[in-house]
Amino acid sequence: MNILLLTGSVFTPAIIGGAVALVMGIAIFIIFKLFAVKTDPRVDEINAILPGVNCGGCGYSGCIGYAEALASGADVDSTKCTAGGEDTAAELAAYLGVEAGLYIPKVAHVYCQGTQDHTKKRYEYTGTLHCASAHGLYSGPNSCTYGCLGFGDCVNVCEFNALYIENGIAHVNHENCTACGKCVDACPKHLIHMIPKHEAATVCTCSNHWPGAVTRKNCSIGCIGCTRCVKTCPVDAIHMDDSLAVIDQMICIHCGECVKVCPTFAIRQGLLSGPGTTVDNSVIQKAARAKEKEKVSAKVAE
Amino acid sequence: MKEFLIILFSVILIDNLVLSKFLGICSFIGLSKNLKNAMGMSAAVIFVMFVATAVTYPIFYGLLEPNGLSYLQTVIFILVIASVVQILEAILRKAFPPLYQGMGIYLPLITTNCAILGVMLINMTEGYTFLQAIFSSVGAGIGFMLAMFLFAGVRSKMEHSDIPHFMRGLPITFVAAAIVSVSFMGFKGIIENLFG
Repeated sequence: MNILLLTGSVFTPAIIGGAVALVMGIAIFIIFKLFAVKTDPRVDEINAILPGVNCGGCGYSGCIGYAEALASGADVDSTKCTAGGEDTAAELAAYLGVEAGLYIPKVAHVYCQGTQDHTKKRYEYTGTLHCASAHGLYSGPNSCTYGCLGFGDCVNVCEFNALYIENGIAHVNHENCTACGKCVDACPKHLIHMIPKHEAATVCTCSNHWPGAVTRKNCSIGCIGCTRCVKTCPVDAIHMDDSLAVIDQMICIHCGECVKVCPTFAIRQGLLSGPGTTVDNSVIQKAARAKEKEKVSAKVAE
Repeated sequence: MKEFLIILFSVILIDNLVLSKFLGICSFIGLSKNLKNAMGMSAAVIFVMFVATAVTYPIFYGLLEPNGLSYLQTVIFILVIASVVQILEAILRKAFPPLYQGMGIYLPLITTNCAILGVMLINMTEGYTFLQAIFSSVGAGIGFMLAMFLFAGVRSKMEHSDIPHFMRGLPITFVAAAIVSVSFMGFKGIIENLFG
């Protein structure tokens, strides 16, 4: 197939090289025209509305994934962006011409308050400083095997600097938290849950399912499953999961009745608003109890 | 049949693309962080290896060799491989969107992957027949896959191990790659013992 007789001349490589390049160029041109994929211009515009932090809180792989789903109509819920919050939800709804759904801002909450003062160490852990590795060694060094290990796997995955370790357990800085849910997946103990962001959110801040006697031995602030809160709750928002009280955040009316009766201070009311600030429930609880005592003694006196 | 088996064994185990010939190191280091990425990349490499051989072989023996232009092979192969990858990408995007999304960025990355060009050039220097060249290329792709999988496993183990501070990140990755490479040295001589 000696197509050119100009052997030895500079034209042969030039022509053959050029011909190959030309053929490839034409082939690419034709293929790209034939297989052109129409992209929706709205995807980019929706993507511009989204905050662009690619946290994955909406359940899609990054902001562009959510934008594509919205543009194609695969998803009609404009309230899924947790990082953008209410403003983004409203803007998206306006752009898409749909009615803005009820946006419930959420926030991460650590269901454990077993700090070093409340729990003991079962053994001295000297391995890698990761919750996952510590959890792999007999469920970690803490006396409560349900509780926070405090090595900060959640802190490491958080892109918004919303978590910090204090006194051996993780805390959430609720102002920074965008409820992306990365910490929820990272925690080997499954201690972090997303709850509706409410000033007076009432949470049974404990995750252990042990019977009360065992809990008492291992943590002085854990839920012992006495069910007093269940009986007190006026809206039946609390149910028992084994020996653990669980408050349904969607039903809870934040009345604070359960906080008053909880004997171990496991139920807490109010969100932390930043590092260093803690809501001291024991004060409220002690005051409530003192009042009750007074009433009782008044009755006795009568 | 025996010759094909010899080619397969030698490109997968002995002359492993990554671990013995140090071709395609960038994607080997860059995309072996988890098994999913490793899988996508190696699947793309095997696929492109096959198509690129099917295209470059006729060009070399039909166009370059008869005109005494073998010295142009590097330039022409780069051109052809880049174009073929572009065309493949366009076809995949239209015809098989799930596959296209699965391969994602790895397909365009292959455009400038030295592993592909290296294997094409080796095929021509070895003087393989068309079928042998196809076997050699796909085998090299499988070898790449094997190395990627092994190394992705090693790296996922490293995530939770206590690494000295100065070694964290890239240094320990390279050291681990070196040790994985040593393990492949153990396959030297397997051909003589199996087929010899």
